[in-house]
Amino acid sequence: MKIIKKTLTFLYLSIICVISLVPFIWVLFSSFKTNSEILSGTVGLPTGLHIANYVTAFKLAPIVTFYGNSIIVGIFATLLNLIICSMAAYVVVRCQFKIKGLITLMFSLGLIIPGAALIQPLYTTFSGVHLYNTLTGLVLVYTALGMPTTFYVMVSYIKTIPYSLEEAAYIDGSGFFRTFMQVVLPITRPAFATAGVIQFLLAWNEFQFALTLTGDTKKRTLPIALYYFKSAFASDYGAMFAATVVVAIPSIITFIILQKQVVAGLAAGSVKG
Amino acid sequence: MKKNNTKWVILFLAPGVLLFSFVMLSSLLVLIGTSFTDWFIGSKITFVGLKNYIYLFTEDKAFLQSIKNTFVWILLQSTIHVTIGVTVALLLSKKKWYSSPVRTIFFIPNIISSAALGMLFLCVMNPQFGLINGLVSRITGEKFIQNWYNDPKTAFLSVTLTWLPYAGLVTILVMAEMSSISEDLFEAARIDGATSFQIDMHIVLPLMKNIIGTCVILAATSMLQKLDVIMMTTSGGPGARTMNMPMYIYKTVFSNNNYSLANTQGVILIILGVVVLKVIRTLFRMDKEEE
Repeated sequence: MKIIKKTLTFLYLSIICVISLVPFIWVLFSSFKTNSEILSGTVGLPTGLHIANYVTAFKLAPIVTFYGNSIIVGIFATLLNLIICSMAAYVVVRCQFKIKGLITLMFSLGLIIPGAALIQPLYTTFSGVHLYNTLTGLVLVYTALGMPTTFYVMVSYIKTIPYSLEEAAYIDGSGFFRTFMQVVLPITRPAFATAGVIQFLLAWNEFQFALTLTGDTKKRTLPIALYYFKSAFASDYGAMFAATVVVAIPSIITFIILQKQVVAGLAAGSVKG
Repeated sequence: MKKNNTKWVILFLAPGVLLFSFVMLSSLLVLIGTSFTDWFIGSKITFVGLKNYIYLFTEDKAFLQSIKNTFVWILLQSTIHVTIGVTVALLLSKKKWYSSPVRTIFFIPNIISSAALGMLFLCVMNPQFGLINGLVSRITGEKFIQNWYNDPKTAFLSVTLTWLPYAGLVTILVMAEMSSISEDLFEAARIDGATSFQIDMHIVLPLMKNIIGTCVILAATSMLQKLDVIMMTTSGGPGARTMNMPMYIYKTVFSNNNYSLANTQGVILIILGVVVLKVIRTLFRMDKEEE
């Protein structure tokens, strides 16, 4: 009985690992194959490390530009999102005011609006105010998209901070802003890490608005590079494989290094859903 | 609580409120308002009442197909997908040496950009050089050619497979919740002679009701946002076989330039999302426990 159970568990988890890993490993191997090796449909290992595909990929599509854009958008969308949400979360937790319920609702509303519904309105608004095809536009959209999760992470964390610390600061004559900056923010650092990682990954991986709110290759982010390959260079398989690897690797590495923050952020962010 | 700091409250809330108004609120107003009009690219906006809604539900076959597909995907995702994630979580919660690595591996398809996942599958399922056809050819010894994403018979299943098994997020969320169960509870059950299967069924799962409900909500609502994978693989084809609502909205905006019709679909998509959320919360009786 025990043996059967162990075997079944082993089998089930093996299948899970195979379906999760094999497609990626196969693409990774294939990215080092020559085009003729790929076309022959062989399943096996590449004959050597042909980095030619990577060279072609970088030549065909401005991947370096896409990379740069993704980094810029990711960093600024994360910073802006953290600043806006930590400030709002702080006053929602610590201050009394009439429209508190409305503000909380506003910050969680993003969760029930499927982004696809907003494609046309955002496209029109952004064209109207000259934010179409700008990195600033993407930063603003991603900052807004991530507000529900970050706000919730911040609110839950600030609630756990004892108020006596701030009280002591006020008694010592510190003002509202200084207390927030010098007393509250330093303690809130773990929440910043958690929410920041999730927010960065959101901006890094987002596809829909990156596609619809930018027009030319100078302003596009990494996920669009793949769409670019699919539509323009679908015949250069090797380069397509290489591009996929180049896009996927940073997210995987981020996750493996910052696993604790990612897990905590996902757990906290999902509760409100 | 500190009082008399209205100035600071306003200053601290202003950036969030402004950004929300600019990105979300104004879009929602445009969305709802123009859904009752005729508006093409470059044309004037004219009021037409419910015309768009009536057209979508009575004449637009592709739209009806997209709603049907979205429903089937919601159903599959909130049942099979969540079940896979929960069973993996239960197996990994026994804290074996492999628990942590398997959890990490299972989450990889969830952490990479969906565009990259779509591309992975486009390559794996490629008719000429894809992994699947290659393996089948290797096993049977004959050249096997199946155009997974373009054949009407296999397209729907092939698209479904790009997300249905990848429940790493469910596993992570359920495991995080499990770690909060007190060890004493297991201890007591074991002393009473419960097998690990009985413990899972009668102790763990009932305690997991809320987080499983949350996972069902996440899984179901994610089906209302799948544009990237569809776009990378089938673009909704062949015909409208794998069309979903986001893909159809995208097409209506950028291929047909029919803005008002796209916004009508957007309104329907949001209503659908709210209904799905409400139904799941009722099924899992989640409304009562939340403040």
